[in-house]
Amino acid sequence: MQRITIDPITRLEGHGKIEIFLDDAGNVANAYLQVPELRGFEQFCVGRLAEEMPIITNRICGVCPEAHHLASVKALDALFGVEPTAAARKIRELLYMTFFVTDHTTHFYALGGPDFIVGPDAPPAERNILGVARKVGLEVASEVIGCRSRNHQIIKVMTGRGIHPVAGLPGGWSRRISEDERRDIEGAARKNVEFALFTLKVFDDIVLKNPAYLELVTSDIYLHRTYSMGTVDSANRVNFYDGLIRVVDQEGAELVKYHPSDYMNQIAERVEPWTYLKFPYLKKVGWNGFTDGKESGVYSSTPLSRLNVADGMATPLAQEHFERIYEAFGSRKINGHFQPIHHRLATHWARLIELLYAAEHMLELAKDPEIASADVRNIPNPADFKGVGIGSVEAPRGTLTHHYETDEKGVLRKVNMIVGTTNNYAPMTMSVKRVAEKLINGGKTPDEGLLNKVEMAFRLYDPCLSCATHNLPGKMPLRLIIRDKDGNVVRTLTRG
Amino acid sequence: MLKTIIIGMGNPLLRDDGVGILAVRALESAVGTRQNVDLLELYTGGIRLMEEMAGYERAFVVDAMVTGRHEPGTIIAFSPTDFITTRHTISTHDTDFRTSLEMAHLLGLPIPNDIRFWGVEAVDVDTFSEELTGPVDAAIPRIIENILASLAD
Repeated sequence: MQRITIDPITRLEGHGKIEIFLDDAGNVANAYLQVPELRGFEQFCVGRLAEEMPIITNRICGVCPEAHHLASVKALDALFGVEPTAAARKIRELLYMTFFVTDHTTHFYALGGPDFIVGPDAPPAERNILGVARKVGLEVASEVIGCRSRNHQIIKVMTGRGIHPVAGLPGGWSRRISEDERRDIEGAARKNVEFALFTLKVFDDIVLKNPAYLELVTSDIYLHRTYSMGTVDSANRVNFYDGLIRVVDQEGAELVKYHPSDYMNQIAERVEPWTYLKFPYLKKVGWNGFTDGKESGVYSSTPLSRLNVADGMATPLAQEHFERIYEAFGSRKINGHFQPIHHRLATHWARLIELLYAAEHMLELAKDPEIASADVRNIPNPADFKGVGIGSVEAPRGTLTHHYETDEKGVLRKVNMIVGTTNNYAPMTMSVKRVAEKLINGGKTPDEGLLNKVEMAFRLYDPCLSCATHNLPGKMPLRLIIRDKDGNVVRTLTRG
Repeated sequence: MLKTIIIGMGNPLLRDDGVGILAVRALESAVGTRQNVDLLELYTGGIRLMEEMAGYERAFVVDAMVTGRHEPGTIIAFSPTDFITTRHTISTHDTDFRTSLEMAHLLGLPIPNDIRFWGVEAVDVDTFSEELTGPVDAAIPRIIENILASLAD
């Protein structure tokens, strides 16, 4: 048997290693994505006061501190038995939409988009935001920087800090938004809507109108028919901040819809001997290995799966694009629900539809007079103290759940988190194997192209392995090692 | 004095990874009140690091590094033209600092002419802890000396 190792993956947070084992004939026997977990996060937290968690967990990762901050604050709402005021809830949601705009924008232009905009076969050194700027035009890069800048400024004003927010409190938010600030945010939101529409047009022009790219997107190389997961509002529309978790099957029929606090009854974790990270799966269906289809409890939690579980989007322009993506893939509407899309590269498109929704919803919230209300906090009542709190949000990369338990003084005794990327560990492993199977056969020596196709399989999930392992390494080069059937290294490809 | 930003990079919850952050906090009393000097704690490199220095004439960056080639606590000075190997100058979620810098130049963003990095060789960046290891902790006064001397340039 041969073995191929990719160690670790470029442009992703955290360390990881891919090993691909070949059989006697030189075909792929197995593919493993290994993530070395760094332990100690729970122990680091236990013994602290629960209210420290929003400012500790937001340091788990520099990429989505806002998601951790909000999941954590929502867990504290539950733990202290307090509801945020209506204004505070809107402020939190406004902050979150602002964050989603920057995060999804950066992913498209700097991380996922270069594969298409610069080209999947372009040299790795050119497949970055600079390559995008050269291809699409410098003014686009200026727009990206401008978008990041105006939204970072809003995040800074709303959260008290530019990088790691500190404003969230159980029962609300620590500061109100002034009328002047509200006006600035409204102006920024209008620009965000325009920018999101422009970005969807870029995707249309460069990807969808290019037959070669369209074929790549719709080919079966990145196709997995798993269950889909995402948070929906009371009308079953996509919601990033709050709602019920909905899971639909391969045809779009609802398997289950549950409150985030019920996650332990819905999700189980599979342990495999070759990795520290566990594989979550649907308890109701059960674990059936790294397979897709109705019999396998493997699910996805991505921008695409969020669209797949929803009956629609809560904003008008995003709704138009929502209908467009399903029509483009030939999905039929069954009982008011489009059949899910299972072509994973469509996740990039779904992410841009979410970008548009975030921008539109940001504008709605900024125009809401209540957003500038001074009533931003309900003080918890000691009589309502629960001692257990579970909070969840949709992080850009998947459903994020925080679960805390404390003693009667509010000192943490137990901390558990299921982060966005972890949800997708099984599908990512399947995608890597699929790509390897397609590109390595009969002992043909894989080249740089294999590396990139495998990376593309990863990038579409926008994974953040540092978060998945509660670990924060900075740099992540890529290594791919091929081993023969006896475990000897045949070839090593390195990058980064 | 040139308008200067001093950026400490890293994570203060991950033992030696927080050396840049702790160095910047330690600088607070020495330079916090100086005109034209700003201090910043930052986790993400890449585009964000470039964006944070835009508008300044001079930028100093302190970060942990794990080269395995130096004694723990060793401080190495870099310039952007050097091959930068500190932990957080690359954002694995967007791009590396050099690409960001090149983009900034292409776009005509006001990037400082004088950018300096100090990498501090770390022992342990993989354990959740708020305390530095001994040799890295002992490097902090030397980092401060380096930065104060550079401010006087």
